[in-house]
Amino acid sequence: MATTTDRGMSRAGSVVAGARPPAPRRRGRRWLPTPQLLITGAVAAVIAYLALVPLYYLLWGTFFDDNGLTFGGFERAYGNNRIGELVGNSLWFAVGAAVLSLTVGTSLAYLNVRTDVPFKAVFFAASIVPLIIPGILYTISWIFLASPEIGVLNAALSPIVGTAPFDIFTIWGMIWVEGLHSSPIVFLLMVAAFRAMDPSLEESALMSGASRLQTIRKVTLPLVRPGLLAAVLIILITSIESFEVPALLGLQNGIYVFTSRIYFVLRSYPPDLAAAGALAVGLLLIAVIGVGISRLLAGKGSKTFQTITGKGFRPRPMDLGRWKPVVGFGILLYFFVTVLAPLAVLLYTSFLPFYQAPSAEAFSSLTLENYRDLFKLDQAVTAMKNSLILGVSTATGVMAVMSVAAWMVVRARTRGTGVLEQLSFVPLVIPGLVLGLSLSFVYLRSPIPIYGTIFILLIAYCTKYMPYGMRYATTSMTQISNELEESALVSGASWWQTFRRVLLPLLTPGILAGWVYILVVSFRELSSSILLYSPGNEVLSILIFEQYENGQFTVLAALGVIMVMTLVVLVSVAYKVGAKVGLRQ
Amino acid sequence: MRHRRLLLPLLTACVLSLAACGGSPTGSDSSSGDKPAVSKEERQAKKVFDQLNGLTGQERTDKLVELAEAEGELAIYTSNSDIYDLVDVFEDTYDIDVSVYRAGSESVIQRVLQEQKANYFAHDVLETNALELNVANKEGFLYEYKSEFRDAARPEALADNWTGTRFNVFVIGWNTKLVKPGEEPKSFEELADPKWAGKVSMEVSDVDWFTALYDYYLAQGKTKEEARDIFARVAANSKIAKGHTTQGELLSAGQFAVTVSSYSHTIDKAANEDGAPVAWRDASGEPAQPLVLRPNGVALMKNAKNPAAATLFVDFELTEGQGIFEDAFRIGSLPTDEDPIEGLEVVAVPEKKLLENPKPWDELYAEIVQGGETVE
Repeated sequence: MATTTDRGMSRAGSVVAGARPPAPRRRGRRWLPTPQLLITGAVAAVIAYLALVPLYYLLWGTFFDDNGLTFGGFERAYGNNRIGELVGNSLWFAVGAAVLSLTVGTSLAYLNVRTDVPFKAVFFAASIVPLIIPGILYTISWIFLASPEIGVLNAALSPIVGTAPFDIFTIWGMIWVEGLHSSPIVFLLMVAAFRAMDPSLEESALMSGASRLQTIRKVTLPLVRPGLLAAVLIILITSIESFEVPALLGLQNGIYVFTSRIYFVLRSYPPDLAAAGALAVGLLLIAVIGVGISRLLAGKGSKTFQTITGKGFRPRPMDLGRWKPVVGFGILLYFFVTVLAPLAVLLYTSFLPFYQAPSAEAFSSLTLENYRDLFKLDQAVTAMKNSLILGVSTATGVMAVMSVAAWMVVRARTRGTGVLEQLSFVPLVIPGLVLGLSLSFVYLRSPIPIYGTIFILLIAYCTKYMPYGMRYATTSMTQISNELEESALVSGASWWQTFRRVLLPLLTPGILAGWVYILVVSFRELSSSILLYSPGNEVLSILIFEQYENGQFTVLAALGVIMVMTLVVLVSVAYKVGAKVGLRQ
Repeated sequence: MRHRRLLLPLLTACVLSLAACGGSPTGSDSSSGDKPAVSKEERQAKKVFDQLNGLTGQERTDKLVELAEAEGELAIYTSNSDIYDLVDVFEDTYDIDVSVYRAGSESVIQRVLQEQKANYFAHDVLETNALELNVANKEGFLYEYKSEFRDAARPEALADNWTGTRFNVFVIGWNTKLVKPGEEPKSFEELADPKWAGKVSMEVSDVDWFTALYDYYLAQGKTKEEARDIFARVAANSKIAKGHTTQGELLSAGQFAVTVSSYSHTIDKAANEDGAPVAWRDASGEPAQPLVLRPNGVALMKNAKNPAAATLFVDFELTEGQGIFEDAFRIGSLPTDEDPIEGLEVVAVPEKKLLENPKPWDELYAEIVQGGETVE
C-alpha cells in the first residue's frame, strides 16, 4: 500500500520548489494563466454550465408558477393516500435491484479479473449484452420467458414441477429484470477497480492465515469501497426513477411505484412539470447525501483505497483450485439466463410475423421479412451513422472532461470541488422531458445556431451521461497514489505532462469502462432525443420508437438484434485498443 | 488559493446559464402576456393562404401546384405513424422536398409550443391528434384552411382551424384462439362478468377512450355511480398494460384474451398482414359496440415558410391520402362507398371537455385502473 506520509509529501513539495527556482524570465509572464488553471477552469465551467441549465429550469418549474412561489407540485406529487405504499414498493424494488446487480456485477468482475475462472470470453458478452438490449425489449423478452400464461420457461418446466414455477409479474420479477439489466454498470465499474488492485495485499492476508472468504470480506471489498458506493448510488437512483420495468411488469397485477405518479402527471396536457420536479427534488436530496457520504469516505482515508503506488505489482490471477468447475458451471448458467435466453427470444421473435410460443406452426412461419422491412427504412442508415457519431463523441468528450474533473475532486479537494462533484451528479435526477425542454428553451434563444442541429443532441447526451462518467473516473482516481504524481513533479514534469503521461494511462481501466458504458447507453437515449432531434438528425432510438409506435414489434426485435451485433463489435475494438495502454496483465 | 480559481468559472457558468434562461422558462402560457407584433413570416403566409382560400375548382388547384412547386420545400411536424407512406407518394407526385419530424403527440405539441414562443418557425404543417391540434389552435398558431375537400368530410372531422383526415377507432379486440366463436363480447359491460376474470386487459393511459365511454353510459341514463361501477368491475377482471403496441403484441401471443381499447388498425394489421389470431368483429362482421372515435387531423401553421406547399399537402391528405390510410387499415375522414363503420354505434371523444379540464378525468381513470376507491 501507499507508504507516503504527510511529512513525506511536504518534503516532496519543498523539493519541487527547490528544484525549480523561478527563472527571471518567467517573472514577467506570471500573469499568464498556467495550463493547469486553464484546463481545470474550463472543465469546471463546462460541468457547471451543463448541470445548471436543466437544474435551473427544473427548480423554477417546481417552485414557481404564474402567481409566484408555490409548493403545489409537492402536494400533487406526494399528496396521495397511497403514497406510503408507492414509496414502499419503490424502495423495495430499488434496493432489491441494487442488491442483485451489486452481487452479480461484483462477483463476475472479481472472478473475471482476479481468478483463473474458465470461459472468460463469455464474460465479455455477459457484461455488455444486457446493457445493449433496449429496456422495453429486454423486459418483454422476460415476459415471453417467464409469464405464467405464455412463458416458454414455464411451459417447459410445468410438466415436471406441476405448476408454472415462475411469475414475472411480481415485485420479484421486477427486481430480477431491473437488477440483471443494470448489473453491467456494476460489472464495468468493478472490473476497473479490481484491475487496479495490488494482489499482494490479498496474498499477505492469505499467508497470515486468513481464509479466502475472510480475505475477500476484510481486504478485497474494503479496498474497492469507492467503486461499490458509486455503483449503489447510481443504481438506487436509476431504479427509483425507472418506469419501464414497473410499467410493463408491475401494472399488470396492480403493483404501483412512486414514478407511476410522475408518469401520470407528465402524460396529460399540459404536463405537470411542477409535480415531476417535486419528485426530482426528492431524488436530488438522496443524491446530494449520497455524494456527500462518498466524498466523506474518500476524504477520511484517501490513502486507504490507493492501490496503485510506486511499488510495482503484477496482477496475477488467483487459482480457484477444486472450485474451478463449480464456478465455471455457475458462469455458464448465468450467461444462459441473462444473455442467451433473452437474446434467443429476441432473435426468435425477429424471424416471426408476430410472437407466438415455439411450436411446429411457429417454426414454419419463420421469415426474414422483418430484416427486409428494416433495411427498406430510409432513415436506418442515417440513424445508425448519427448514433455512432453521437455515441463515440459523447463517450469520448465526457470521459475526457471527467478524468480532469476527477483529479480536481479527488486530489485538489478544495471547497469549490465539492460543489463541482455534486453538480456533476445532478443530471441523474433530471427527468428526460425536463432536460429536453430546458435545452430547447435555451438554444432556441441562443445566438449560436445549435438548435436544429445534431449538436443539441450531443449537449443533451453529455449532460445526461456526465454523472456516470464522473463516477467511473473518480473511482479509478481514488485508487492512484499521490506518490506517483509527486515523483513526476519532482523529476521536473509539468502538471499537464504528469496528467497526460502518468495519470491518464493509470486511469485507463476506469476511463475505458466509462467510455463503453456511455457509448452503449447513449444508443438507447430517447426521452430527450425525441424532443430535440431534427429531420435528418434521426438517431437509432428514434427509429426504435417509430417501430414501436407503428406496432412493428417484430421489426423492433430485428433492430435489437442488429444493435447488439454492432455494439459488441464496437466494444471489442475498444477493449483491444484499451488493452494496449495502461495496466497490462 | 486554488478554490478561488475554481469559483470564478463556476460563477461565470451560473451567470451565463441564468442569463440564457431569462425569465420564467416554464411559465405555462407566456404567449398570452406580451403578444409580439405580427411576424414577417406570418404576413407573407397570410397573403398566400388568403389568395388560395379565395379560389375554387381547377383555378385553385393550378395556382396551388404552381406556387407550391415554386416553394419547393415542406416541413411537417407529426405524430402520424404512417406519415412516410403519405410523403413518399406526395414527393413522387410533386416537385417538393419534404422533411418530417415525428414523435408522440405529447412531444410534438411541446416542441411546437417551445419553437413558436421563441419565434422559431421551422414547420409549415402540424399533423397530430385532436387534443394537441386544439391546443395549438387555442394558442393561435394555426391558419384557416378552406377547400371543397374539407367541405366533403364527415362532420366529426370539421374543427376550428384544423381538419380531421382520419380516425382512431377504439375497439374491443380478442384473441381468436382464446375466445371461441359465439363467445365474443358484444359490449364493454359484458366484460364485468366474473367469467372474464384475469382474461381482460386495459391500457393505463387511455383517458380519452374512458371519458367517451363514461359519457356514453351517462347519456344512456346510468348514474355516475353505476357507470363507475362498470369500469371498476372490468378493471377488477383486468391485467393492466402500458402502450398499445405492447398490449397488441401480448394479445396476439395470448397473454390475455381480450383488450378493451385497442386501435382497430392495430388489430386489422396484425390479423391481415401477419396472420395473428386476433379480431374485433365476429364471424357475422359485428363488433362490440359502441366504438369510440377520435379524430386525427392536419392544420396550416400561420407562420409557414411554405404556405402553398402546406395547403397542397392538406389537399393531398384529403384526396389521394385517403386511399393510403385505407391501405393501412385506417378509417379516413371522407366517407367512402364501403364505409367500415357505417350503421355501427359510435361515440366521439369529448375533446373540448378534455382540453379545458383534463385533471379530474386523469385522476378518475387512474383510480379505476388502480382498482382503488374512486375519488372526485
